[in-house]
Amino acid sequence: MADKQPADPASPAPQVPPAAGVDVAPRGRDNQGTWFSIRQPTQPWQAVLLGIVCIVFCFGLWWLVTAGEAEQRILTSDKVPSPQETFGTLHDLWFNRALMRNIIVTLQRVVLGFGLAIVIGVPVGILAGCFTRFAAFLSPLIIFGRNIPLAALIPLTIFIFGIGELRTVMFIFIACVAFVVADAAQSILDVDTRYIDTAYTLGAHRRHVILKVLTPLAMPAIFNSLRLLFGLAFGYIMLAELFVVGGEDGGLGYLISVSQRRGPREHIYLIILAIPLVALAIDRLLYHIQRSLFPYRYGGPGYLNNGLKWLLHRWDDIKVAVLPSHLPAWLTAERLTNGNASSDTKPTDTPPGA
Amino acid sequence: MNNSTSPTQPDETAPSQEVGIGHVLPHVRRPEEIPRTQAVQFRNVTKTYNAGQANAFTAIENITFAVEDLPDKGEFVCVLGPSGCGKSTILRLIAGLQPQHPATSGEVLVLGAPVLGPGPDRGMVFQDYTSFDHRTVLENVTFGLECQGVPRRQRYELGREWINKVGLNVQTDQHKYPHELSGGMRQRVAIARTLILRPRIILMDEPFGALDPLTRLNMQDLLVSLWRTAQATVFFVTHSIEEAVYLGDRVYILSSSPGRLVKEMEVAPPDRPATAMQRDPRFQETVYYIRDLIFQLEKSK
Repeated sequence: MADKQPADPASPAPQVPPAAGVDVAPRGRDNQGTWFSIRQPTQPWQAVLLGIVCIVFCFGLWWLVTAGEAEQRILTSDKVPSPQETFGTLHDLWFNRALMRNIIVTLQRVVLGFGLAIVIGVPVGILAGCFTRFAAFLSPLIIFGRNIPLAALIPLTIFIFGIGELRTVMFIFIACVAFVVADAAQSILDVDTRYIDTAYTLGAHRRHVILKVLTPLAMPAIFNSLRLLFGLAFGYIMLAELFVVGGEDGGLGYLISVSQRRGPREHIYLIILAIPLVALAIDRLLYHIQRSLFPYRYGGPGYLNNGLKWLLHRWDDIKVAVLPSHLPAWLTAERLTNGNASSDTKPTDTPPGA
Repeated sequence: MNNSTSPTQPDETAPSQEVGIGHVLPHVRRPEEIPRTQAVQFRNVTKTYNAGQANAFTAIENITFAVEDLPDKGEFVCVLGPSGCGKSTILRLIAGLQPQHPATSGEVLVLGAPVLGPGPDRGMVFQDYTSFDHRTVLENVTFGLECQGVPRRQRYELGREWINKVGLNVQTDQHKYPHELSGGMRQRVAIARTLILRPRIILMDEPFGALDPLTRLNMQDLLVSLWRTAQATVFFVTHSIEEAVYLGDRVYILSSSPGRLVKEMEVAPPDRPATAMQRDPRFQETVYYIRDLIFQLEKSK
């Protein structure tokens, strides 16, 4: 803490010589505000710069161990090609092996399989989070789904779903759906009971509590877990695609498999470098969708959230137009007798739900 | 059930007494002593958690009282007692919320009918901030109306009126999310969304417990002015004696572990702002009387 300042800030503090034996050394250790202070905030440009330093370092190391003539290299070219050799085949990979088309094929499969897992898994998970008996009923399936060895599933998916696109899509679905259900259920359980109590004392029915309270309150957590699980799904698709069954499978995993068998090996390195870039792009996209959907959690304008509300309001309007309006009796009575509905008259009818 | 005088009820023979702005009743009134319709009636209510097990815990024991339903007015009832004396249990039994509901034994009646579960006729304001994080102020205030199927235009119109009534700014605050509000503003939202439903009984579980002292005084004044027009019976749980004496028409004092009703007091209603009234020596006399009483109860345990 700072010392007490004298009343007049202009006059310097009187220099009182310290009494004998009083320790006047500075208090505490200056261990904040240096580069290696714990949890010291980093400037964004510093973070980016440090990331670039890491990438440069890795490529430098790669270049170092593969530099020089074939015999002088630390790692021979049949093990690891040099960076120049690798990027020299990029043109071939892009045009002759259609890298972009294969990335899109892979993405299509993940999106379809994972989308199916969301469409089925999230509602089931929400119900499991709301109803403990349903959760108990599902728990063997969840434990099974989360623990089956996925590699062993590949032959089974070939038997059941054939060798077409359906196989890879269903593989991703089976690989992810148990995780989606479990995470959605847990997110619902993590919503504090006090919100349920509040909703009930405001006259909510069970369906209102599920649809208007628990689900929207759990949605940021559910979306967060889906974002993480998408990374998992992207990893699993490689597994399914590496297992080439037909002639024209396509996809990044297929491309790796072809390059392994027919060469050039440089393509494998290029694809391995491309995958994190694709994953990063997807993750950023999902992150921005997340921010836009949940402005009450992450701040920002929340365009998607507004769009969603607009849709819900239109749905509301349709319901009002189609269904007969049923204002609570006390409200209508109050409006009629009072015009501007000030609260100084007693409701003439019994309150709702009495 | 045990309807007769039991040694567990310590207040049976105390004389009636005037203390400051309060009037101590000779004993806690029983339902049959009140001829009028009763807003809330407890008959020998006991709540024991984990009954029959080793960790059984009795929160309230043999609680009997009744609050009359004053026509066109309602009464402001404060429930006062040390922490853990079962104040909240009483409130949540009236609300019909689990796990307090149902009572282990005894009867809880609201306007003559037994409580089956929660409903909008018994609105509740909690101590914890319970605004729905994903809803704006306006959407929070109109939540109850939305559940009743009131069309959006009507409910938003009414919602804006209530935002104004609880002292928030319609223009600047209606589209804010709860995380942008201070604690006092959140409790204003909680009060608005409860009162908008015109409940006959309003249950408040230490609603100002988490607020700083100044905000708390402001909120007390707001509550007094709103309640005057709400015509509802209010049950207000607090462990602040000043708050109870200031707000209450009637104050119940509980002893703890297990909670028992010890005293019933009638108190003059607030006729001045909280800061002015709480400085009055007669007000202070009542506060000190209750403080000594609670102190004695705690010591004699």
